[in-house]
Amino acid sequence: MEGSVIKQTPSQMKRNLLIPFFALLVSVLLFSCVKDTDFSQAENITLTPVVELDLIFFNLEASAFYDAIADTSILTVRDTTEIRFLDDSGTQESLKRAEFLFNFTNSIPRTFEVTFQFLDEMDVETYAASTSVAAGTELAPVLTQFIENVEGEDITQLTLANKVIVSVTIPSSDENLQGLLNLQSKTTYYLEIKERS
Amino acid sequence: MRIISILLMAFGLTGAMAQNKQILYGLKEVPQALMLNPGVDVPQKAHFGIPFFSQIHLNAGATGVTTFDIFGTSNVDINTRIRNKIFEMDANDFFTATQQLEIINFGWRNEKEIYFSGGVYQEFDFVTYFPKDLAILAWEGNRDYLDYQFDLGEVSATADLLTVYHFGANKQINKKWTVGARAKLYSSILSARSVNNSGTFVTRLSDQNGPNIYEHQVENADVKVQTSGITSLENSSVGKVIGRAFFGGNMGLGLDVGATYKINANWTASASLLDLGLIFHAKDVEQYHATGSYTLNGIELLFPPLGEGDEAIPYYSDLEDEIEREVPIDTINSSYSQWRPLKTNASVRYSFGKFLGGQECDCLNQGIEREQAVGLQYYSIVRPKGIQMAATLFYERRLWSFLQAKATYTVDPYSFYNIGLGASADFGKFNFYVAADNIVYYGNIAKAKSVSLQLGFNIKIAQE
Repeated sequence: MEGSVIKQTPSQMKRNLLIPFFALLVSVLLFSCVKDTDFSQAENITLTPVVELDLIFFNLEASAFYDAIADTSILTVRDTTEIRFLDDSGTQESLKRAEFLFNFTNSIPRTFEVTFQFLDEMDVETYAASTSVAAGTELAPVLTQFIENVEGEDITQLTLANKVIVSVTIPSSDENLQGLLNLQSKTTYYLEIKERS
Repeated sequence: MRIISILLMAFGLTGAMAQNKQILYGLKEVPQALMLNPGVDVPQKAHFGIPFFSQIHLNAGATGVTTFDIFGTSNVDINTRIRNKIFEMDANDFFTATQQLEIINFGWRNEKEIYFSGGVYQEFDFVTYFPKDLAILAWEGNRDYLDYQFDLGEVSATADLLTVYHFGANKQINKKWTVGARAKLYSSILSARSVNNSGTFVTRLSDQNGPNIYEHQVENADVKVQTSGITSLENSSVGKVIGRAFFGGNMGLGLDVGATYKINANWTASASLLDLGLIFHAKDVEQYHATGSYTLNGIELLFPPLGEGDEAIPYYSDLEDEIEREVPIDTINSSYSQWRPLKTNASVRYSFGKFLGGQECDCLNQGIEREQAVGLQYYSIVRPKGIQMAATLFYERRLWSFLQAKATYTVDPYSFYNIGLGASADFGKFNFYVAADNIVYYGNIAKAKSVSLQLGFNIKIAQE
């Protein structure tokens, strides 16, 4: 039996190879894909920064609790400051917990009651905290540390406020009272920032 | 958050290094090779790109991270993966995206053997470095980073949308040299950049005499954002923006130069400099510049004796005013100029194999045409934090008289495993080319750190 010989001209060869070549290139490009990925995970992306920030500070002289002109005691002194970022919608959404640290250093020989009232824009109280500060002496000032941890439902209340009134109350005072009540404070904000629908 | 995820996806999906067209460089069968080296050896007599389809270029890349790293299916929580990546990457890692669309491209050879070419293309180019410190601050907060100086200078990003009009000439001046140059007129549509920033932010415990528990310090901040074409965007129509794409935007001038040198029968060297130019931003410019130092200690209460109806001291507003005074953010409308990202290409090429056209050596006419070539290419681009480089090893082969193919292996900041493939086919006067790199990742682009693709259609008229 005679064997058959298939002859190809160079140009036929070109055509035979051309199709597979382009098919390969096109298929590589067309069938390129993204596999084993799950973009819905983006919904779970959550930033959880913990931010340390100074709050307020003051230095109250004992003389602030006595009106030398009227010759009367001033048993409570007050001051107010706005904290505008507290009721910001971003804070309201993302703040999960706030931990306040108040460090009192007292060299006045009296105890103090200190309250922190948080008020909203309409001056309605939304959250409050208070503490007693131990008496000290000028030679031996006493440190009182007060930590207020706010979370859960309370945090919602706290973030409705945009100002704080600080009231410092002394049980009694006289013109000879000496010393200084110092406050230093900071807040640790625990945030949870994510896409919310 | 949505923006972050979209950006991450975009970087992973669309994606060699932005603007590096290593496959097309030196591939003279593609008329667009002239765009990469005005001094390339031009074989054809004339060409005309199919309008809007003569070159489509897409490129995206990220060093240090892939889409798969973040969004791959895994048992590890996505937040853990992001956190690990933030700490793994450094401030020299970057994300880029480039897109180019040729609107028209044409060229012809005159009687004096000068090849003139011209055209219009649109370009979008974006690069941002990874501001690691700010990412840590956003992700973790400052509690665990007391005394750590967060570097504000890591912010470095540019974004440009522009139209480029170009016209150039190319000529083989003797047996050895082919040279070319191209003038470019840039019309910037939108531009935003924030580069050369400096300054630090640190939170530290106050010393004993400090007024409060912490000191939050911004030191020697010098942060600038320059924009042009953006502020008027809010009040303008689409028509206006399109208008700027023509000659209505901020104009600039640039130059491309290149040359090819035939060393001997086998060896050829070439080099080009692209986008040696400036854009002058004068219209619709807004620059923001924050400078200064400031230490925040919180709010000091003074307990002033107030009567009924007295106004309380506006501590908070005073604090805001003080910060604005100490670290003012100036808005400047003065014009500024901006260098285009200068690109450099260079190559050496060794040709071998069968002579094409059946002649032993047609040295007098078009030089030596061999079937195969191997070589080395170098590419660099000037970016805000310095020069980014890439090196490419290539193999080029004429498969058939109408089909030229090129394979590349590129080492760049993205990876050591970038293999690219390209082909240029001539069907009569009709030319089609396609080039793609990181080809091994086309099975799953999510795993690629970068992807680059160019394709286009031209009409080519061969030399008689």
